Amino acid sequence: MKSKLRIVPIAVLLLTSIVSCVEDLDFSQFNDLQATPSYEAGILYLEAPESVINLVNGTNVFSRNFNFDAFSSDIFADRVLDGVITFIVENTTSKELEVTVQFLDESDTVTDTEIFLVQAAPTPILKREIAYGNSGRSIDIIKTLSTIRVSAINLGDNTSVSNLSDPMITVKSSGKFRVQLK
Amino acid sequence: MRFPPFFLIFFCWGALSIYSQNKQLLYDFNEIPQALLINPGVQTDFKWYAGIPALSGISIQAGSSGVSAYDLFADDGVDFNSKVRNRLLGAMTSRDELSGTYQFELINVGFRSQDPSVFYSFGIYNEGDAIGYWFQDYALLAIEGNADRLNRRFQLGDLKTRGEIMNVFHFGVNKVLNGKLTVGARAKIYSSIFDFNSTRNKGFFVTRPGENNILSSRFNADMKWRTSGINALKTAASDDTLGNTIIKRGFFGGNLGLGIDLGVTYNLNKQTVLTASLLDLGFIYHSNDVENYILKGDVTTEGVEVILPGALANPDRDFWQDLVDNIEEIIPFENNFNSYIAFRPTKLHASLRHNWGEPVLRNIDCDCGPNNVGANRAPKYVNGVGAQLYMINRPRGPQTALTAFYMRRIGNVLALKTTYTVDKFSLTNIGLGINLQAGPINFYAMADNLLGYQNIANSRYASFQLGLNIISWGKN
Repeated sequence: MKSKLRIVPIAVLLLTSIVSCVEDLDFSQFNDLQATPSYEAGILYLEAPESVINLVNGTNVFSRNFNFDAFSSDIFADRVLDGVITFIVENTTSKELEVTVQFLDESDTVTDTEIFLVQAAPTPILKREIAYGNSGRSIDIIKTLSTIRVSAINLGDNTSVSNLSDPMITVKSSGKFRVQLK
Repeated sequence: MRFPPFFLIFFCWGALSIYSQNKQLLYDFNEIPQALLINPGVQTDFKWYAGIPALSGISIQAGSSGVSAYDLFADDGVDFNSKVRNRLLGAMTSRDELSGTYQFELINVGFRSQDPSVFYSFGIYNEGDAIGYWFQDYALLAIEGNADRLNRRFQLGDLKTRGEIMNVFHFGVNKVLNGKLTVGARAKIYSSIFDFNSTRNKGFFVTRPGENNILSSRFNADMKWRTSGINALKTAASDDTLGNTIIKRGFFGGNLGLGIDLGVTYNLNKQTVLTASLLDLGFIYHSNDVENYILKGDVTTEGVEVILPGALANPDRDFWQDLVDNIEEIIPFENNFNSYIAFRPTKLHASLRHNWGEPVLRNIDCDCGPNNVGANRAPKYVNGVGAQLYMINRPRGPQTALTAFYMRRIGNVLALKTTYTVDKFSLTNIGLGINLQAGPINFYAMADNLLGYQNIANSRYASFQLGLNIISWGKN
């Protein structure tokens, strides 16, 4: 029995000695973590059929302010770093049009203007990417964006009708922005 | 050193989430009274035993199947952002988990009936456990975003977690039916202190080319987060009555449930033993201090949509607010106070053991130790070797562990058990348990995944159990 009991200190030693090493960990590395995801989504889609354009007397087809608070909300404005807004303007009407997109802040001050001059159909789709932040335009334009104003001027006549099916002018837009979550 | 919030969340999740619950070292270690809690049909020889209150059974387990603290926080000069991308986002999947459990006994007493074939045991223990699966797609959205990932479905079902703390009141009966068969059952009343679970989430978020606009975003959600007791604890914490509230809820003042454990030991022959047990076949009915949060609906948006001429009919129309209102109407975030039932994580244990060597101290007429066996029992042998199976039902399906073990008895004083276990946490899990008997004083200590202790920070699984009991074998 005595010899058998010799195993006791060995076992105890084994059990206790295994409570041994914890290599150094540096939890401060967490401070280096950068979470700067990029998110993208559609912003505004506008379409105006040629029949509506032809109904308008004069050249000012329409001009309308659209409230848009997505970017000025704190959860976004406090974190956005930079990004790109993409516009796609397509004109299948028979007339040349000038489409103007303006960004306004809360006090209705125009902070950015983009003008699209589109020829009568057939014309290629006009795509324009506008960068904000970094070497692009000021990111503050995005942070303070409260209203999008879209206006269109008819540079042609108001009687002709395109022979394309369902002729219209469309303005598509999407945004892709990098935000600092941490 | 100030712990960063991420670390605290990560490891509180982990600490709460030690959920493996496998006690392969204690299972079928029938010199130890606590083996009755894992198999109520274990072969017992005790006349009576009493656990030292709060010290009779303490067990803590923690596991991470995907990443260790060392993987992320080792001072190895590797950029932390690279580690997060390569070792979390790039390596882990939504099946990886952080899980954990702890258990400590408040009372544990057992005694043999006047009918020597029957042994009763009862007690109270406190248990906490939780599991959180790696929320892969949420992490991907938070770290990298949805840009340039057209048609990629971010799965909302990646949020899958549950956790609870409760007191368990139990009473068990163990009966030797004949020389070969011992059966047992244990009834349990669960008194839940708090519970949370969010395990059946479905849905996705996807960005696609739009039909009208450039991009279309679809959010399809069927998500539920159920809680009980959390609000009571929060209120108690602010009122400085947290201790009283925990005690009250733990002693039938919270939510109650019922459960049962079943167990069997069968001697295939004098040297070969088959055992099995089914634990926590039960549920808790949560009706007290319940609050549930629900997000359900299916919405697709391409942004503000203005189609002339109809859109200009109302010059005061706020298209943005209409869009927000429409989304909130289709996919509302709501809460309710409906009762719910939470099933306990049921566990299955089984083992096959072959004993050999010298039968020890059979039928000695004395009160002399654990190897003193009754006439209606198979003899105990110096050596035992075998295999064990362990399964537990989990939110993502059953989890299994396989164990090979060797037991060695040395006189009346010492018994050792070593195990090698393979499961999702580790392929190199070697454990060692020691049971010391000094007269009536019984002490046991067990530790798992010993190789991981070379660098605990790098270990993905760790557990230990210890306990202190007083045991009497009486006279035959």
